Amino acid sequence: MEERLRRNILLKILNFKLKIMSSIQDFTGYSPTWCSGCGDHGIGIAIKQALVQMNLTPSDLAVVFGIGCSGNMNDFLNAYAIHSLHGRALPNAIGIKLTNHRLPVIAVVGDGDCYGEGGNHFIHACRGNHDIKVLVHDNGVYGLTTGQSAPTAKQGYKSKSTPSGIIEIPINPLTLAISSGATFVAQSFAGDPAHMIQTIKAAMNHKGFALVNVLQPCVTFNKINTYQYYLQRVYKLGGDYKKDDFESAMIKSLEVNKEKFPLGIIYQVQKLSYHDHLPQIKSEALVAKNRFIEFDKITKDFI
Amino acid sequence: MDITWKIGGEAGFGIMTTGLAFSKIVSRLGYQIFDYVEYPSLIRGGHNAYEVHVSHENVSHLKPEVDVLVCLNKETYTKHQSSLTKKSYVIYDEQEFTVDGDFVKINVPFKKILADLKGQMIMKNTIALGASLSVLGAEIDELIKILEDQFSKKGEAIVNFNKNFANAGYDHIKNNYSKKVLKFLTKRESSPSLVMTGNDAFSLGSVIADSRFYCAYPMTPSSTILTTMASWAEKVGLVVRHAEDEIAAINTAIGASFTGVRASVGTSGGGFALMVESLSFAGVTEIPIVVFIAQRPGPATGMPTWTEQGDLLFAVHAGHGEFQKIVLSASDIEEMIEVTAEAYNLAEVYQMPVIVMSDMYLSEGHKSITKKFIDDFITNYKVNHGKLLKEITNGKSQITNEDQNSNNKTKNYLRYKITEDGVSPRLIPGTPGHYYQANSYEHLEDGHTTEEAQPRLNQVNKRARKWDTYLKIDFKPPKVYGDLDKAEVVFVSWGSNKGAVIEAQKQLKDKTNTAFINFTHLYPLNKKIILPFFKENKKYILVENNSWGQFGKLLLQETGIEIKEKILRYDGRTITPEYIIKNFKF
Repeated sequence: MEERLRRNILLKILNFKLKIMSSIQDFTGYSPTWCSGCGDHGIGIAIKQALVQMNLTPSDLAVVFGIGCSGNMNDFLNAYAIHSLHGRALPNAIGIKLTNHRLPVIAVVGDGDCYGEGGNHFIHACRGNHDIKVLVHDNGVYGLTTGQSAPTAKQGYKSKSTPSGIIEIPINPLTLAISSGATFVAQSFAGDPAHMIQTIKAAMNHKGFALVNVLQPCVTFNKINTYQYYLQRVYKLGGDYKKDDFESAMIKSLEVNKEKFPLGIIYQVQKLSYHDHLPQIKSEALVAKNRFIEFDKITKDFI
Repeated sequence: MDITWKIGGEAGFGIMTTGLAFSKIVSRLGYQIFDYVEYPSLIRGGHNAYEVHVSHENVSHLKPEVDVLVCLNKETYTKHQSSLTKKSYVIYDEQEFTVDGDFVKINVPFKKILADLKGQMIMKNTIALGASLSVLGAEIDELIKILEDQFSKKGEAIVNFNKNFANAGYDHIKNNYSKKVLKFLTKRESSPSLVMTGNDAFSLGSVIADSRFYCAYPMTPSSTILTTMASWAEKVGLVVRHAEDEIAAINTAIGASFTGVRASVGTSGGGFALMVESLSFAGVTEIPIVVFIAQRPGPATGMPTWTEQGDLLFAVHAGHGEFQKIVLSASDIEEMIEVTAEAYNLAEVYQMPVIVMSDMYLSEGHKSITKKFIDDFITNYKVNHGKLLKEITNGKSQITNEDQNSNNKTKNYLRYKITEDGVSPRLIPGTPGHYYQANSYEHLEDGHTTEEAQPRLNQVNKRARKWDTYLKIDFKPPKVYGDLDKAEVVFVSWGSNKGAVIEAQKQLKDKTNTAFINFTHLYPLNKKIILPFFKENKKYILVENNSWGQFGKLLLQETGIEIKEKILRYDGRTITPEYIIKNFKF
């Protein structure tokens, strides 16, 4: 008995050491093809750094990438991954979480991807408090299709698809997420790697649905929301900010509409995740369960 | 001898539950049943009818005459009187309406019994069941048992209260119509049977196949799979998600399947249309997925609660780009269990979407099948995960040299490795020491995106070889009913028409020699295997529940065989033996 205990402790130490050995290099795939100066470079590095700091290896997690410049991180970041369809990353991520909830699940998506094409999925992922971490590259444009306006673009923003200026008002991702039931809603800035690392780690450590909306300058197509633009308008939430109050979080999130961008955790509360409500996967992940064979228990309903 | 019992009334007053109770009672008495519901896409206010064909033998078609018609309202009589004969029994309440015609009139004072026993409208059904069993010469015991099961949770007083209505109906016939009582439903010795719909069969087949994840958005006539699976979830250990839309449904299932769990989705044509983009995604990422389609008449919203086989070509051609899929169909309840369980194996072995086609008639009608059939099937079924690298520990032990990449950049594992049979080994995410991406872009063997010509060709050809392998190993030829060599007339069909065609064959026996070729493995088709079924100097007739003769077109496209004679039906009603005979040209 004691021998086994000793062995277990030894294994744990060994495991710990192995984990410490994970490095940025382990997560590094192909060299990024993003434009020079693109905010995505910073986000990519911050994600890897956060994962390394959390002692994870590429085998320990699942990442679902959307389609867009953000989704192209699929080839630059090593992990068990799905490079999904445009807009569909969130339901893929939910499916992974529900069948193997021991795996941390991240979705790396863009604003057009997540708030436009996948807008309905976003709302319902929030509602379900599905335990997935959604990192949105919010740059206000469709970069990969050469600069049409995205759902977060400011009203009046002129682009190829809206030459006279976009008529719609922008989506406010923070307000939308908080009001839809997300239990962790944060904002960060691609020009502040340290803040991104810290925020991504906080999101990863949160149990439940986490949104990190990253303000990301697109140096090629968006001449409005530049690094300069954001540097003048972002500010960090102070230590006295109460992040667990729904109403003040809603009010805080609305500052975005006035082009003031709070950085940090806007809202965080502890609630059961979707999968925590399922007694059938309480003791084991669905994928790890033994096959059900007591068929008479269900055939009796038909007699 | 066989009979048809039919009950009709206003929608929202328990006709469905009552019909199913009758089917179960009759099955418990040792008879075989086949039933069908007619209902409008309304919750209240329309007309519902439930028809049960009862026989001593296995039965899978409807017959045109109704032998016992229970009219809970006048409309039932008006709508269905054309199917009555002189020998038919009509159960109705003289106090509510009168009926005139040459048949046996059985007056049951529903209204008075309800008033005397202080019952609610819905208890009319219980009186009707009691009266029906009495008319057909059955004991009341099984009805009493059903009421006990249904109401036992609510206490003995409620059980007894409901029993009173059953007894009142039963005794009323005994006391007033004893001479007219038929001696049909006397209890028979028989092995236990189950009463199931096609949707139930898909659900059971999924559990037998160890499918653990089901995701759907409700759509008639597929919705009862979602509700059945949800009711089993905790007991069986399934995760069932009612998603925000069909796009989410299939993508959640694809995510689930990525982790190594068997997963499926179910829908009807319109919902499937939303899933199509992701079918292509499953195709290129080679993630197994089973898609169940219960067809109903389209286009668009169409006729939601009626039946048609109008989505075959859509299913076959669904998805952008060229990717591989398998389309199967079931013709009856037993076959639905077999085909469903097979679909999960094929999806994993060939790592592609497998579509199982049903229609409203098969999905929602009940049929009795023996418990022995299910037990035997469970015993013989083997879960086949195909090339799944499940037991990898620390990366090295189970991955063979063959699975390794020579330059070692991807930590040895190649998700899309070029193989002779086209199938590359799958790896369960989370396996230590490895990682890979399932990529919706065209990709290299290791999963990374590529736009280079040669790797593209390699992957397209690799995926194409999966079809070759399937056609060689797992494609099943159509089943033949009757003697193909002797037949002058050969029916060709697929799906739920089978019962009607086989009954038509029986009825045509004295006129001509017929055979029937029934397809379950609809796409892709193996030309070499199929050609010998089509011989010279025979008259082939295509039977389909659509207006285009869609399987005929598919057969022509894939094999060059053209069937010129067609019996098609597309009025929302199912193909019946009478319909075939009426449209049969000698």
